[in-house]
Amino acid sequence: MDIGRRRFAELTGTAILMGRPVAGQPKTVTAQQIVERIQKNVGVPWRPDSLDTFKAGDPALPLTGIATTAMATMDVLSRALKEKANLVITLEPTYFGRLDGMPAPAAGGRGQTGVSLDDPVYIAKKEFIQRNRLAIWRFTDHWRMHKPDPFAIGLAQTMAWSTYQLKDDPFRYDLPNATLGSLADDLAKRLKARAGIRVVGDPQTKVRRLTFLPGVSTLAATMKALPECDVVLAGETREWESVEYAHDTVASGQKKGLIMLGRVISEDPGMNVCAEWLKSMVPEVPVRWLPAGDPYWRPA
Amino acid sequence: MTAGDVVERIKKNLGIPWNAQTFRDTFKAGSPETEVKGIATTFMATLDLLQRANAAGMNLVITHEPTFWSDTDTTRELEADPIYKFKVNFCAKNNMAVWRFHDHIHAHRPDLIWVGLARALGWADLASPANQRRFAIPPTTLGALAVDVKRHLNSRALRVVGDPNAKVRTAAVGMGYGMPRISSDVDVVIGGEISETGNPLDATEYCLDAAFLGQNKSQIIMGHEISEEPGMEDCANWLRTFMPEVPIQFIRAGEPFWSPKAATY
Repeated sequence: MDIGRRRFAELTGTAILMGRPVAGQPKTVTAQQIVERIQKNVGVPWRPDSLDTFKAGDPALPLTGIATTAMATMDVLSRALKEKANLVITLEPTYFGRLDGMPAPAAGGRGQTGVSLDDPVYIAKKEFIQRNRLAIWRFTDHWRMHKPDPFAIGLAQTMAWSTYQLKDDPFRYDLPNATLGSLADDLAKRLKARAGIRVVGDPQTKVRRLTFLPGVSTLAATMKALPECDVVLAGETREWESVEYAHDTVASGQKKGLIMLGRVISEDPGMNVCAEWLKSMVPEVPVRWLPAGDPYWRPA
Repeated sequence: MTAGDVVERIKKNLGIPWNAQTFRDTFKAGSPETEVKGIATTFMATLDLLQRANAAGMNLVITHEPTFWSDTDTTRELEADPIYKFKVNFCAKNNMAVWRFHDHIHAHRPDLIWVGLARALGWADLASPANQRRFAIPPTTLGALAVDVKRHLNSRALRVVGDPNAKVRTAAVGMGYGMPRISSDVDVVIGGEISETGNPLDATEYCLDAAFLGQNKSQIIMGHEISEEPGMEDCANWLRTFMPEVPIQFIRAGEPFWSPKAATY
């Protein structure tokens, strides 16, 4: 659910502060208060066991600004500091994996452990965060359930595709005059990709109908989508699953394609949508989107 | 010689007991009774590969990875799919059989997939005596190493994280779906395919941040096919040593994707 700034002000009794700061009485808001507003407004019931928790910093921290990002890398954190944003809201982990810097489960637990807590990169990042009094809060499980899908909406905005959207379906678009090659180039340009984008199919193939599968997608999703469109635009898929299926579709004589953007660049624009959404409920401090960008490069 | 005879011959020459529980190393298309005219070894029995093997007169394909788009090659839910039907019909029409050789080629000593990758990288003699997956390479930079790996493996779409000017002397290498765990005694981890985030330890974010902090850690993601295809050439060479009756040819499945022109470092 989205609420307008005015409606929010009525609900919370902050109308007097909005746009008319009272001299000498700076508005303050804490990281925890922002989280509470998100919980109230995200539009899905809050799940207490979710990954959406503080990963660093003090929830009582008075905020100077908020940054949203797909991944709280060191580069993003240092840009947040320059922007005077001391709460970073991140979709993906901060500490290099699903444990996110939490101590490993007790002995006897299965599987590998996360980053070692005496690892020099972990320690340097943690110290940077502490020294600069940043708070980091992860927003993944619930933001992914928000409607309409923020990742689809965000990508369409970044690509200037909104007018091509099929009715009531933010995952599907009819593109005018595109080939698989021109589409891949356009994506690389607008998403500022370096080496992350990979394509299956003939660059000359004309593509009109596109289905977007942001983030990680399954074989089942590709098998459902590809017969009904010309090109599937995925974040991340497996080489022995959707990649082979798309490759076989092309070999069978069908003029189709699959584009993999990479997880982070497929999700970055959805965190711009998050920043815009937060602005409607956070009048006290600036909210900015800081794209994490394409993590990969490739030699010429 | 039938396809079933070929498999029995492989079992006899493997040098390790056959694991009858394997769901991977089984026939995926065609029947064991198929009379074999020639054998093609490859990374993956893609439709494109089957078409090329058929044109080359090879009707038994020995593939390292799946035929029907999942590790289990389960086909029950695929039967209505037009691409599934196309692929099955192509095999039937051309009297082709497909057999997967995954678990046991890795279990063979030496692991032929690993031998192929080390050879393709040009590092066969550089493995650490204590750990065959660690390499002490001639000192170089990450940028020069990435050029070298890309060229040796004929890759269009490999991906790199880290500072191109970082000095690199020790490498940990993994193949297929996997990335070696990054650790203090390794400068660069090199793997086949791996999730970008959400692993126990995400090398991508770790190496991005290490580079930002001036710490010398890097990652090269080769691609699954790129990392495991060379070993299927070693597989063909090995099969020839005990299967003189039929022609045996290594046919590349090939890197499945290309990349748009991108800014390089």
